[in-house]
Amino acid sequence: MKLGGIKSVENAHDDSVWAVTWVPATANRPPLLLTGSLDETVRLWRSDDLLLDRTNTGHCLGVASVAAHPLGSLAASSSLDSFVRVFDVDSNATVATLEAPPSEVWQMRFDPKGAILAVAGGGSASVKLWDTSTWELVTTLSIPRPEGPKPTDKSGSKKFVLSVAWSPDGKRLACGSMDGTISVFDVPRAKFLHHLEGHFMAVRSLVYSPYDPRLLFTASDDGNVHMYDAEGKALVGTMSGHASWVLCVDVSPDGAAIATGSSDRSVRLWDLSMRASVQTMSNHTDQVWGVAFRPPGGSDARGGRLASVSDDKSISLYDYS
Amino acid sequence: MASVYIPVQNSEEEVRVALDQLPRDASDILDILKAEQAPLDLWLIIAREYFKQGKIDQFRQILEEGSSPEIDDYYADVRYERIAILNALGAYYSYLGKIETKQREKEEHFILATQYYNKASRIDMHEPSTWVGKDHELAYFCIVGFTAETCQLLLAKGEVEQASAAFKIVIDGDHDNVPALLGQLLRAEYLYMDKVKIQHHILVQACVEFNRGRYSESLELYKVGCMAIFFAIEKSAVRLGIGLCRYKLGQFEKAQQAFERVLHAKNVEALVALAIMDLRTNEATGIRKGMVKMQRAFEIYPYCAMALNYLANHFFFTGQHFLVEQLTETALAVTNHGPTKSHSYYNLARSYHSKGDYDKAGVYYMASVKEVNKPHEFVFPYYGLGQVQIKLGDFKSALSNFEKVLEVYPDNCETLKALGHIYVQLGQTDKGQDFIRRATKIDPRDAQAFLELGELLILSDTGAALDAFKTARTLFKKGGQEVPIELLNNVGVLQFERGEFELAQQTFKEALGDGIWISFINEENKSSIDAATSTLQFKDRQLFHDLESNGHRVEVPWDKVTVLFNLARLLEQLNESGTASILYRLILFKYPDYIDACLRLAAIAKARNNILLSIELVSCNLLALVNDALKVNDKCPNALSMLGELELKNDDWVKAKETLRAASDATDGKDSYATLSLGNWNYFAAVRNEKRNPKLEATHLEKAKELYTRVLIQHSSNLYAANGAAVVLAEKGHFDVSKDIFTQVQEAASGSVFVQMPDVWINLAHVYFAQGNFALAVKMYQNCLRKFYYNTDSQILLYLARTHYEAEQWQDCIKTLLRAIHLAPSNYTLRFDAGVAMQKFSASTLQKAKRTADEVRATVAELQNAVRVFSQLSAASNLHIHGFDEKKIDTHVGYCNHLLSAAKVHLEAAEREEQQVRQRQELARQVALAEEARRKAEEQRKFQMERRKQEDELKRVQQQEEHFKRVKEQWKSSTHSKRRERSDDEEGGTGEKKKRKSGKKRKKDKHSKSRYDTEEPETDMMDEQEMEDEEADVNYREEPQTLMNDDGEENAQGLLAAAGLEDSDADEDMAAPSSSVARRRQALSESDDDEPLQRQSSPVRENSADMQESDGEIREVDKTNGDDASDEEKQY
Repeated sequence: MKLGGIKSVENAHDDSVWAVTWVPATANRPPLLLTGSLDETVRLWRSDDLLLDRTNTGHCLGVASVAAHPLGSLAASSSLDSFVRVFDVDSNATVATLEAPPSEVWQMRFDPKGAILAVAGGGSASVKLWDTSTWELVTTLSIPRPEGPKPTDKSGSKKFVLSVAWSPDGKRLACGSMDGTISVFDVPRAKFLHHLEGHFMAVRSLVYSPYDPRLLFTASDDGNVHMYDAEGKALVGTMSGHASWVLCVDVSPDGAAIATGSSDRSVRLWDLSMRASVQTMSNHTDQVWGVAFRPPGGSDARGGRLASVSDDKSISLYDYS
Repeated sequence: MASVYIPVQNSEEEVRVALDQLPRDASDILDILKAEQAPLDLWLIIAREYFKQGKIDQFRQILEEGSSPEIDDYYADVRYERIAILNALGAYYSYLGKIETKQREKEEHFILATQYYNKASRIDMHEPSTWVGKDHELAYFCIVGFTAETCQLLLAKGEVEQASAAFKIVIDGDHDNVPALLGQLLRAEYLYMDKVKIQHHILVQACVEFNRGRYSESLELYKVGCMAIFFAIEKSAVRLGIGLCRYKLGQFEKAQQAFERVLHAKNVEALVALAIMDLRTNEATGIRKGMVKMQRAFEIYPYCAMALNYLANHFFFTGQHFLVEQLTETALAVTNHGPTKSHSYYNLARSYHSKGDYDKAGVYYMASVKEVNKPHEFVFPYYGLGQVQIKLGDFKSALSNFEKVLEVYPDNCETLKALGHIYVQLGQTDKGQDFIRRATKIDPRDAQAFLELGELLILSDTGAALDAFKTARTLFKKGGQEVPIELLNNVGVLQFERGEFELAQQTFKEALGDGIWISFINEENKSSIDAATSTLQFKDRQLFHDLESNGHRVEVPWDKVTVLFNLARLLEQLNESGTASILYRLILFKYPDYIDACLRLAAIAKARNNILLSIELVSCNLLALVNDALKVNDKCPNALSMLGELELKNDDWVKAKETLRAASDATDGKDSYATLSLGNWNYFAAVRNEKRNPKLEATHLEKAKELYTRVLIQHSSNLYAANGAAVVLAEKGHFDVSKDIFTQVQEAASGSVFVQMPDVWINLAHVYFAQGNFALAVKMYQNCLRKFYYNTDSQILLYLARTHYEAEQWQDCIKTLLRAIHLAPSNYTLRFDAGVAMQKFSASTLQKAKRTADEVRATVAELQNAVRVFSQLSAASNLHIHGFDEKKIDTHVGYCNHLLSAAKVHLEAAEREEQQVRQRQELARQVALAEEARRKAEEQRKFQMERRKQEDELKRVQQQEEHFKRVKEQWKSSTHSKRRERSDDEEGGTGEKKKRKSGKKRKKDKHSKSRYDTEEPETDMMDEQEMEDEEADVNYREEPQTLMNDDGEENAQGLLAAAGLEDSDADEDMAAPSSSVARRRQALSESDDDEPLQRQSSPVRENSADMQESDGEIREVDKTNGDDASDEEKQY
């Protein structure tokens, strides 16, 4: 397996690009690339040529996360001011504006069926679940406070939730927090299951394998990527190689590889059968905040695509084969 | 036929004696001689004739009679001839002594000879011939016995010079001048006696010259002597001398001829000499021939020391040490000749040396050296002695010995290397380097020399060292030898140090070869090796037990441990910390005492927990590990240092200090790391107590400085100490000095991968910042961030933001803070600061003289953001989730409220401003184009409509924020009322556009003044925030007090800010009616009267704020600093 560079857009945004995701193809258009930036805009790009389709404004402070509905019609973007804007991808009409003060908004993910939007709630130590039809807050999945006396140092007992991931069957939700612990929830019963331990620094991104609902990949500031058996609470593997924080991770649609982006300015491709880094792309000149494999489907889905975005204001597109 | 005539007494007749018809019985002729009282020279002539004819007894009889007491009486005044007779007898007995093999008889002969000579010298002390006698004898023995069994008389006593001096008197001339000697010889040729005498002179001189090493002169003399040869025995001796001279002069063929001519006489010396010549051909056949000759010589005469020595030498090389000892002992017993004895001792010593008995070898080498007068003659024992002395650790003596060898052989590689080695051992690395470099130049194929050179260069010039090592490696490989592991290790480490990680990894792997580690390094995915769990549990060695029980052999040869450790260290550098961890544990599994591996494991664990909030876990994980290391060696300063540092991280200040003390004590204060840590501790302590107790601060700073200085005295090139010292200086306000130091440290640190000193960059930036050089400070922070932290350090981003803030680059400041928030989302302080920056930005925009509606709108948006940030913050703080104290949250809320009200005013001002703009435009239109005014007004209205629409949109976006909406609603109503009032006012003062303008100008002045007011509280707030954050982990108990203070301050400041803004409004109103004159007056800032105090005081406060902040960072930074230092320490 390997990555081949297809196209890079310098100065795709006016400032650091912090978020990226693919909007799945719909009946009348191919998949689009959705990016969010510190310049307070969200932009849509046509694939392969990376032509700018539209620029959405309206956010204040930087756009920290973007998410796309599995059907491809809706997308959500969130900014540091903790507003979530849900909009129609094709018309840019605002569908809903979500906030749940005092909870902040970090990473967002639609569940695989598209019925729920999960939002990492930062300091509220919870994940908020929004119904995508009514745009009502359905559930708040809170991470329970550990037992024992109240600690006095600043390590605190609260988990600052940064990232969320849905299992492919939509039954499980995992969230990563600032202190490196990962919490797994049973979504249908809205119940906290257990923690996964092994990281001791912020987990900014995590993703379930598309085929194995137990297998979870996590990227952490400690420079490692961990593989967990999310059900069995076991650490299955560790992949080290990045020189600095691993900021983002995504798994390929075929489930054979993962891609990571890091503060060390590189994008790495990891072969899961070898559990080793097989390729390092170093075309970015600053931290790589997002990597995203294009989901399968769509009429012109010729091959796998991987997109990466970086603090250097650029977007890169690679062919994955 | 020659004959002599004996004058008959008292007559003129003479008795004719035919020399070839001398009577058989010497008594006959003696009677005649006695009766006729013949002159003594006739006696001598006749005796010689007898000797010539081989009639030794007669010869002796005549001479003995001629030297009897009655003759002495009778010829009392004939001195010269009497001496000659005695000399002849002495020579005769010397000869006997020479040919005698039995030691006792030999000695007797020599005693007799000496007696005769002594008698001769008693006759006349100043008669030259007596000297000649002795010298002759000396010469004789020297010539014949260069192998020297018989040199008891003079030479053995080392009296060569004396002999020479004595001889000088005899020949009475320039002894260096051979032609002069020849001339003398010719002049005296016809005088028989003289001939003999001169012949003696010449031979003696030849011998002396030979012993002095002037072989060509000696040769000439021998040649002359040969022409005038008299004694047969002397002839062969002279030939031997000639041969030796030629040999020494390198004329080997002629030498061989000379020796061969002597050979017929079964002359052992000649045989030995020939054998030596054979040996020195250095070919197998030659050597064999030589050894055969040696053996023959040994058979002919088993006590020839020279032959014995050579045989011993031969057997040394064939490894028959027993024979060597026997032969050399015999040789030592039969000879007294210095050089030969020296040779024998040398052989013996060498034998012991090769057997490893250094003490005995040393003794014999010493004995050998003692027998050698000048190293030039026989230098090998010096070399051997030097070697033994190195082995025994006596480097000084070894040095002098090797230097002697070097004098003789200035280009000898081995000696140069040995000398280099010794100089290194003596600490004179430069000299050592020179020698080894010379060695490598002389023999560029000597791998060992390059190896040593490399080792020497490691400390000074890594590049050159690497080159040397590489050369050595290729040489080893070329030579088909196995490359030593140490060499590969060194190459690897150097490559590592130069950042050539790939190469280093290859090298280490090459050094390691095959082993259990291969599976860990290469096949991490192998199912039998569960890397995942292993990275979790740093103490887990179960893995290896499992492997062993599965039948794998877990072996780590002792000589590969270091390489393995280095490889693991390299993997760590390459971020393969998982594999590194396994390797460390593999080392520990086999060598549980390997503390460094244990410490590295702790360091890996520490790095993983770096920014982690849960220090609890750190302490559990790490203290246990470090305690492990301490168990191994209670006094290990490295482990203690690390423990101390961890305790610091754990905010266990007192404990940390004790531990660091212990670390320092464990090394008698010599461990600069421990001292440095103590210095840092003191520095932190000083900074921590800044607000509490200035006295304590001063003492701590002083102590810190002292400790840094101590380290600097010990290691003048310690960057960390220099950095620390500069920090203390900066703390005291000596910015220029500290800047210089920082700059130097920065330069020095930019060489090796092991020296990572981002702190110095930050400190330098702080200094620039404190000096107001914001642009440079920004650059420095950015470079540091990029270079060392991959732009991931939110703390530095905060510094950067603060610099932008001071430089009034609001947008940059806000963007920077947003980035920081993105990097450290759980740091609410950053949000607070961002809010402040937004508010400040809005305020400053509002204070601008000219602003467009867009600007104001942006300002409003920014203000709304600020309000949202603050309200969010206060809401979030209510959850008290990030360890903030309740009181602190209250403070936040209070301050936010203040800011909100301030923002309200700002918004009012903005609205008003907008209206003013509109009105102004309207008025301008009215004045300029009265008729178009109405149309314009319509346009204006349209414009207003648009505005409102836009505002509506804005509102829509933020519909959800009810709170704010309400506030806005309120504002709107209030503005409306105010606006109405205002418009009334304005209507009252129509056409006062100019005045309005002036009012605005004035307002600007006013605002720029009040900027300090508003800024101060904000700045302080930022700082205090940070300070408190830092302090939160420093000492929690003390915090409430701080907070109390802060409460007061912040409230007051908040009010002040608000007041300042209110003030400006008031001013504006007042200014409205004022004239342009007043404006000018105000422009000249005379109206500042009410504020200069504040103005002056503000910079001071700012400064102190700066310092607070920089303290904080330096503290943070020094902690990482420590990490690096420990990393570095654990490198090798």
